Amino acid sequence: MKFSDEFETRFTMMARHYPTKRSVLVPALLYAQDEIGYLSDEVIQEIARRLELTELDVRNVISYYSMLTTKPRGKYNVQVCTNIACMLRGGEELFAHCRKKLGIGHKQTTQDGRFTLEEVECIGACSWAPAIQVNYDFHENLTVEKLDKVLDGYQK
Amino acid sequence: MPVLKNIKAIAKGMSITFMEMFQPTQVENYPDGPGPLRGARFEERYRGMHVLQRDENGLEKCVACFLCAAACPSNCIYIEAAENTETNRVSGAERYAKVYNIDYNRCIFCGYCVEACPTDAITHGHGFELASFNASNLIYRKEQMLAAAPAHMGANAVFNSADVAGGAPALPVQGS
Amino acid sequence: MPDVTLTVDGKKLTAPAGTLLIEACKSAGIEIPSFCYYPNLSLQGACRMCLVKIEKMPKLQTACTTVVTEGMIVTSDNEEVRQARKSMVELLLGNHPLDCPVCDAGGECELQDMTFSYGAAESKYMEAKNHKDEQQWSPVVFFDRPRCILCYRCVRVCGEGMDVWALGVQNRGVSSIIAPNKEDHLECEECGMCIDICPVGALTSGAYRYKTRPWEMKHVGTICTHCGDGCKTTLGVRRSDSGMEIVRGDNRDKSGINNDFLCIKGRYAFDFAHHPDRLMQPLIRKNGKLTPANWEEAFELIGKRFAEIRDHDGMIGVVGSSRITNEEAYLLSKFARVVLKTNNVDHHRTADFPALAAALSGKPDSTATMREVYDAPAILLIGNNPTDQHPLLAWQIRNNVRLHRSRLYLINSQTIKLGRQAAGFTQIPAGTEGKVAAYLAGDDAAVEAIITEKNSRETWNALREKLRGEQKLVIIFGSEIRGNDVAVLVKFGSGVHGAKFVCLADYANSRGAADMGLYPDLLPGYHRVADTGKFHDEWTSIPATTGLTLPEMVDAAKASKLKALYVVGANPIGRLGLDPFLFSKTFVVVQEMFLTETAFMADVVLPAANAYEKSGTFTNTCGDLQILKKAGEVTGTKSDFEMIVRIADAMGFDVHKLVPFGAGERTDMGQSRGAQSGEADRHAVWLEARGLEPKMSPLEPTAILDEIQRLVPGYDFSRINLLAGNDQHTTLANSGPGAIQKPELIVPANDNLFSSGTLGRYSKALHSVMESRTQQTSEVAAD
Repeated sequence: MKFSDEFETRFTMMARHYPTKRSVLVPALLYAQDEIGYLSDEVIQEIARRLELTELDVRNVISYYSMLTTKPRGKYNVQVCTNIACMLRGGEELFAHCRKKLGIGHKQTTQDGRFTLEEVECIGACSWAPAIQVNYDFHENLTVEKLDKVLDGYQK
Repeated sequence: MPVLKNIKAIAKGMSITFMEMFQPTQVENYPDGPGPLRGARFEERYRGMHVLQRDENGLEKCVACFLCAAACPSNCIYIEAAENTETNRVSGAERYAKVYNIDYNRCIFCGYCVEACPTDAITHGHGFELASFNASNLIYRKEQMLAAAPAHMGANAVFNSADVAGGAPALPVQGS
Repeated sequence: MPDVTLTVDGKKLTAPAGTLLIEACKSAGIEIPSFCYYPNLSLQGACRMCLVKIEKMPKLQTACTTVVTEGMIVTSDNEEVRQARKSMVELLLGNHPLDCPVCDAGGECELQDMTFSYGAAESKYMEAKNHKDEQQWSPVVFFDRPRCILCYRCVRVCGEGMDVWALGVQNRGVSSIIAPNKEDHLECEECGMCIDICPVGALTSGAYRYKTRPWEMKHVGTICTHCGDGCKTTLGVRRSDSGMEIVRGDNRDKSGINNDFLCIKGRYAFDFAHHPDRLMQPLIRKNGKLTPANWEEAFELIGKRFAEIRDHDGMIGVVGSSRITNEEAYLLSKFARVVLKTNNVDHHRTADFPALAAALSGKPDSTATMREVYDAPAILLIGNNPTDQHPLLAWQIRNNVRLHRSRLYLINSQTIKLGRQAAGFTQIPAGTEGKVAAYLAGDDAAVEAIITEKNSRETWNALREKLRGEQKLVIIFGSEIRGNDVAVLVKFGSGVHGAKFVCLADYANSRGAADMGLYPDLLPGYHRVADTGKFHDEWTSIPATTGLTLPEMVDAAKASKLKALYVVGANPIGRLGLDPFLFSKTFVVVQEMFLTETAFMADVVLPAANAYEKSGTFTNTCGDLQILKKAGEVTGTKSDFEMIVRIADAMGFDVHKLVPFGAGERTDMGQSRGAQSGEADRHAVWLEARGLEPKMSPLEPTAILDEIQRLVPGYDFSRINLLAGNDQHTTLANSGPGAIQKPELIVPANDNLFSSGTLGRYSKALHSVMESRTQQTSEVAAD
């Protein structure tokens, strides 16, 4: 398994921050996911080997964090917050709209592999609720119309 | 007058006798009476020979938990458990009693097993004709206690070579 | 560490600083309930059952993670605490199915006990319970997810205790589950520790599943009959149509040297006893065919033939076993010398005890017990792979390193799993273990053979200096070190302060067989045949010339000189791959459980009982003597002890001279009944305490134990402790001079975790595990 040079530099830099090897696990998984899109068996094997962990250990951590996934996702991961602040400002309507518009449900991916939809807990954007996060980009103070524009932006 | 008093007492006593003479008889005519019970009558609570019940699907209720054997003060219940499989499903839960013997040489009909049973599988029927000339006949197997016929007949069903296998009732035998 | 004084429920307690509150309370007899806490495993604080009230702390605290402090005032039981525990049980029961009647743990379930002590009859939780189907993770491990209460004991014991790390926790919160390392199955050492440690019925054993219930069995704590470590295994027995059937093996009786530990063999591989191929009737060869016979006929024939051959100076060979008890081995040794009048006695040697006895002569306290391996500050292990061949020893070493920060020095030609615990691992070329011993003992020239790319002369120098500086070093060596090398290694050890030795042999009573003199040149206690001494006085007329070793007996058979061969629990033809027709002119008697290659060509085959079906004693590879308690029973078999005595009797020998026993009196010492687990045999203890020596029949092995204690040096143990089920250490320091024998006679058994000689061949549990392995690998290969 070979990662890109960018991954390697990030990985080596992060490894220097911690006294124990296994502490790099979560950042390493995130970097790998950024690069490959999901955590394949190969990635898990490689990271386990590097950090001297068992594959089971790595899988345990992956299963703990909902941001980490072992299944391929679409190009854009649309994460709609429906926690209290967003919910009160219409987060659930946004989620329902996404479902209708993309024709998929929670944790599903569109046929063309462009979008994955996810209903998530608080993303820390309560002051600008309702908010969604697409990959690492935030879109705040949304209405259904604004959301349409946002999603259309990603269609191109 | 003591004499008069005595006569009065005798008259009173005899009057009851005469009165009762014309009442219907209360004697149980067992074993020459009519019907399958041959004249015997039981209270509902009578603790006779055990009946192993089946659930609404006809499966055995007994799951071989051994609690009856643990509760038994005379140590007369012997069970061997086995696991239900897809092809051989005997009870409703994971396991069933492959062997379920009650040794009626030892059983004192105390009813503790019935109390202990978590699935209401073992109950007391009204079977009582258990006498035998051979003590080894008194160890009853599961098939004998699961019999289709009412419990008191069930006791003899095997010996009468009555239909046992597959002849079990689909519904629990109600206190028969 | 200084002691700390604290108050619990108004009681003043003192405990060493650093003690956990739950342990301090336990030692004062105050029980604090817990699920996730388990002594010697890392702290989890998951179950919240051990909540107690501590003054000046705002909320209830978990006793399992709180360390005692000076002046601490604790309330372990009040309304608030009880209410909290009640809520915890209620939460745990929120998703726990109430299928106790069918659950294997029912009756020995900690959740059941807690619910009885603290639980509410009704639950506030009305939600439907989550059901998930049971999963089979391996032939011997089943997982029922809804029953799991997430105490993580299994995860910790598998990782920390066994160093296997095959179990993990996935997901989080209420949806957390225990997961095996290979998605839907386990790839592990199959030790079953997770099952034993599970407080509920979430992990259940494939061998015992749905068979019976805990209170239906009698639990007999006896010694495992597989490897040489001598674990105490608790066998659950039930009456059956063939006698007493063993239905389960586990670790209920924790009084043994193994404490919490048992491997797959101790836990599941008792099933050979009920294999359908088990011999249950004597067989006599008539017209070339082995035909069933009765016992009298068989003994009569053997007695007649043996006596004939002996009286006409025909050569008789005796092959003993490493799985018979000390009493049987001693009796066999005596029987050969006194009754058969021959020194042609041998057994399958897997370690060089005679050389060790010779080297340790006059050095008291020079052998380590299995318990000491767990406490020693430093351990040197040369050769062997204990993880496979001595699972308990590996457990002791591993946990000594983990819990006591012991230093493990490993010298091996292979990279073995214990390397993960080693402070220093030094790999050497295969076959140079003897050179290592020589170098350590001061022979600087020997270093040439063990210098590799990785290990220079300087590394070796540094290692030797380090080892010399250690105190109370336990030196453990496998069969790679034998002959003169043993003495050399002992020479090195005598330069280290307080060094002790462990010599690793492979079978349950290999050490006992050696101690009891199943050698052509040695009598019990490593006394030479040639020397006169107490055995000559007691036994009278011992042939003075050294007898034949097993290969020499084979040669004699080839030359048609061997007239009779008496094999007790061994399979030389199978093991050495001999031509079965080799013994066609020899009268062969075999005492065996199964029709092995040797039994197959015998003239008389006597069905033998195994170690689970008789009483007696075993000496483990460290020299720890332990008592066997009879658990199972198979009709139609006899113990080797009884058979030897009966053969002597049939030969017209005065049995009194063979087994000293009293006239007319007979005492059952309880072992033959199998006393309840953990319970001392009160009758025997009472007799012992009053200095009374029970006299018994010649067929009971305890009859000869007196003689063993009197004549075999190192066996002067406390009988009362032995009978109470405690391990007693035997020593080699005062043994006879021992001997240096031909090293090629030592052949290690090379059993792995899932094999165990003849017994393993007939164990379904071990087979099922091995088959599942090969299936998986072949599946992978097909991909």
